[in-house]
Amino acid sequence: MDLEKKKYVIYSLCAVVLILFITRLSYLQLFNKEELSRESDKNSVKTITVTPPRGIMYDRNGKILVDNKPSYTVTITPSQFDKNNLNEVSSLLEIPAEELQENLKSFKGTNRFNPAKIKRDVDFRVISHIAENRDRLAGVDYQTDAIRLYSKEFHGSHSFGYTSEISEKMLGKQIGDYYKQGDVVGSSGIESNYENYLRGVKGYNFITVDVKGREIGQLNDGKDNIPPINGSDLILGMDKDLQEYAEKLMKDKRGAIIAVDPKTGEILCFVSKPDFDLSLFAGKTDPKVFSSLLNDPDKPLFNRVIQTKYPPGSTWKMMMSLAAMAAGEITPTSTIACNGSFVFGNRSFEDHGAYGNINVTRAIEVSANTFYYKLGLQLGIDNYNKYGKMFGFGGRTGIDIPNETQGLLPSREYFNKRYGENKWTPGLLVSLGIGQGELGVSPVQMVAYTAAIAMDGLYCQPHFVTKIKNSMNDTYEDMKFEQRRINIPQKYFDAVNKGMYLVVNGGGTAKNIKSEDFVLCGKTGTAQNSSGNNHSWFVGYAPYDDPRIAICVLGENQGWGNVFSAPIAGALMVRYLGGEQYETSDEIKMVNQGTQD
Amino acid sequence: MNKNIFERIDVLILIVVLALVGSGLIAIFSATYTSGTDYFSRQLTFAIFGLVIMIGISFVPPRIIARASYIFYVVSLLLLVLVLIFGKKISGSKSWFSMGGFGIQPSEFAKIATILTLANFLSTSEDGFKNVNKPLVFLKAIAIVFFPVVLIMRQPDMGTSLVFLSMILPILFWVGMSPYVLFIIISPVIIVLGAFFGMTYLIAAIVIVGLILLLFKKNILVTVALVLINVAIGFSFDSLYHKLQPYQQNRIKAVFDPTTDPLGSGYNVIQSKVAIGSGGMFGKGFLQGTQTQLKFIPEQWTDFIYCMIGEEFGFVGCVIILLLYMLIIFQLVNNSYLSKNKFLSIACIGFSSIIFFHLVVNVGMTIGIMPVIGIPLPMMSYGISSLLSFLIMMGIGMSAYRYRNQY
Repeated sequence: MDLEKKKYVIYSLCAVVLILFITRLSYLQLFNKEELSRESDKNSVKTITVTPPRGIMYDRNGKILVDNKPSYTVTITPSQFDKNNLNEVSSLLEIPAEELQENLKSFKGTNRFNPAKIKRDVDFRVISHIAENRDRLAGVDYQTDAIRLYSKEFHGSHSFGYTSEISEKMLGKQIGDYYKQGDVVGSSGIESNYENYLRGVKGYNFITVDVKGREIGQLNDGKDNIPPINGSDLILGMDKDLQEYAEKLMKDKRGAIIAVDPKTGEILCFVSKPDFDLSLFAGKTDPKVFSSLLNDPDKPLFNRVIQTKYPPGSTWKMMMSLAAMAAGEITPTSTIACNGSFVFGNRSFEDHGAYGNINVTRAIEVSANTFYYKLGLQLGIDNYNKYGKMFGFGGRTGIDIPNETQGLLPSREYFNKRYGENKWTPGLLVSLGIGQGELGVSPVQMVAYTAAIAMDGLYCQPHFVTKIKNSMNDTYEDMKFEQRRINIPQKYFDAVNKGMYLVVNGGGTAKNIKSEDFVLCGKTGTAQNSSGNNHSWFVGYAPYDDPRIAICVLGENQGWGNVFSAPIAGALMVRYLGGEQYETSDEIKMVNQGTQD
Repeated sequence: MNKNIFERIDVLILIVVLALVGSGLIAIFSATYTSGTDYFSRQLTFAIFGLVIMIGISFVPPRIIARASYIFYVVSLLLLVLVLIFGKKISGSKSWFSMGGFGIQPSEFAKIATILTLANFLSTSEDGFKNVNKPLVFLKAIAIVFFPVVLIMRQPDMGTSLVFLSMILPILFWVGMSPYVLFIIISPVIIVLGAFFGMTYLIAAIVIVGLILLLFKKNILVTVALVLINVAIGFSFDSLYHKLQPYQQNRIKAVFDPTTDPLGSGYNVIQSKVAIGSGGMFGKGFLQGTQTQLKFIPEQWTDFIYCMIGEEFGFVGCVIILLLYMLIIFQLVNNSYLSKNKFLSIACIGFSSIIFFHLVVNVGMTIGIMPVIGIPLPMMSYGISSLLSFLIMMGIGMSAYRYRNQY
């Protein structure tokens, strides 16, 4: 073999290696680029989630109802965390070491490289300790988050609802993967219902880190960062001053108040007492506080406005009147004899007094039981159910907070099921005629019903939120809620409304709340309660000729409707219509007229 | 006059060397500029110094170099002994002299001295090469390489030892060793590689070696004996393999499946593959490589410098670098072919083999097809001894071109 041949042997060998290397390079760089790039990013880019502040809630006059304030959240990046620091961090954050360790273990895969929220709303003392020992406490860091800030003047606990750290159950159930451990979600009330608007959209900052996890800077000078979108602000129909006043009037009582604008269904105030301080839930929630609320015999977490199912008592009488007239059983002028009691079968049903032959308007004014005992029988179960449904009973009003009860509106099927086919007598309808017996209504159903009467049949879905402010472009989106007309002739509504007018302004059961300045209308009611004092109801609206507020007040175990509920309702209606100077005192004097409902 | 310059100076090597050294400096700058070290300025200083030496050497007549070669060799051996006694241990190997803040690696210079000595030894007969097929000449040639290799293995520095061994075969091939004997030397390597992959591959390797031996049509008994020896080597590989240091075993294992030990020996391979792969066609741009800038690759300015090129300059950059090396190797082999001076002819083959071996092992390692053996990428990796030693080789290579017509 001469040298020239050898030269070409060597050249060929080099060429083979060159081809082999270029093939390998093209495999890595041209065909596997995507995968290896992802690998490379995963390596060196840390994703910091930026949680935007939740939307703010404003009242109908632009006053802030629910605000935000900054707080510190401690985060730990599991991949960087040094186990030797476990005890120190555990005592610093007041989290048991085992719990902390378990928590950190639960982060798998790439999540291990990103900071996880470990404890919210920590003291500045903790933050300064972390900042001073940053080098030693590898992987432990903090970020500023917004947490809820509530007014000290009032609670609104059942309306706004509380926010809390997302539970493992919710994390598991969520569709998609928006929420991560440590995220805050609306857990009740408006916070829960409007979660998707209030929460905004998380942003992400991409931080390049070196092999030891030290931050080098923003990836691509922050150009790739995804900025968060702030939560949308909610404009509520609520009147902050009225809400505050309503809570004062209900202080230390058990019961519920809801007032709406009858023309729209916008909720003006919403009180369920006893309630609780939402700020207990804003940051770290002490489990003891939560369980004490949960186990309180007065049930402060229970939303009495939408969850109670009490018989409406005499406040039901407008319902009966309208149903009977619409069904053709009576006319506005036809009369029924009311002589103090009513005997059906072998049972006597009592009344407060004997009123003689009276028409429907007068029957409402004096709350004549006999009139409605008879009407109940006359109307029959099918019409009872039909017209009840028309006014929203036995179903949800669709108020924009969760866990509303349907209440109970009996029907033929219901009784058949409960007592057996044909094993019940129409006698049940006697009590049902005066709103007692197997009938369950909630204050929100009652206020919607009252507003519909005031509006001569315009039934509006009660709701809190009127507008949503889009945080991207500061435009307002009007919320649409259902409005429907109840098909009952105007003259029947006139007869009923006249009765409600006389309840306050005539010789009726609530003349104690008559106002010189505003024409208030309403109806008292007392729900019989076998296991304690009766429940006190009042529904009403004002002014008579142009209703601007409809209200329902329920006093749990407070006795007669005119004693407890009517004065509160009256004070609130006057306050709403007349403004601050009508705010007389924090405590309404309860009249004692004894025997009227 | 212009033509004269091209006749007298190996402009191709000069330009390619400048390109490679320049690329190396760019890569070192990118790899270290955030770290606050002065690797770049040191390398730049010694690159200028080395280029001056290279050009200077290219004018030195071959016989002076040949005469000096034995002295170089003896001095090198002496230094290799001294480094074992006084050397500084860096990452497990005692291969450095620390001199005023700089590390000097005698083994880098021993490469040149050994090649020159071997070349001198094999070329002393005026009209050509010594006959290496004579056992005595062969053994002497092997002995020249043997001494420095033994000393370097004592450091221990397996990579550099392999470099010394890598140049023997091409030189023997070049000076006319019988292909049959060469194949007999290579065959155990093929067998061992086969054995590494498992029994099927081992048997296939034995069959192939046997068939090729038969093709030489030598004495059948000798052929059978050789095959049997190879079989014995193949089956004793397992025990040999277990005599390797555990980290060396792991490194070899990790080549074939880096994921077995992603944070240990496989880490570098995975990270460097990720770095190179994520570069794509044109790379992420100068100073934009996240893998390298963020130090996911250890010692990226030395043995893993090719990752920088791959990540920041992409496929295009990688291929250009490969082509530059191929140009150097081709030109050296061509100088070797053209050179009437047999001493320089052999030396150039030795230099090109060394560059080739460094290239294959280093680039092969970064792209994940070779074990992680710590040897630098010629003229690009940071390392003063290595840089100077390669530039001296290139100077001698250029002188081979300049004096190609002198005997």
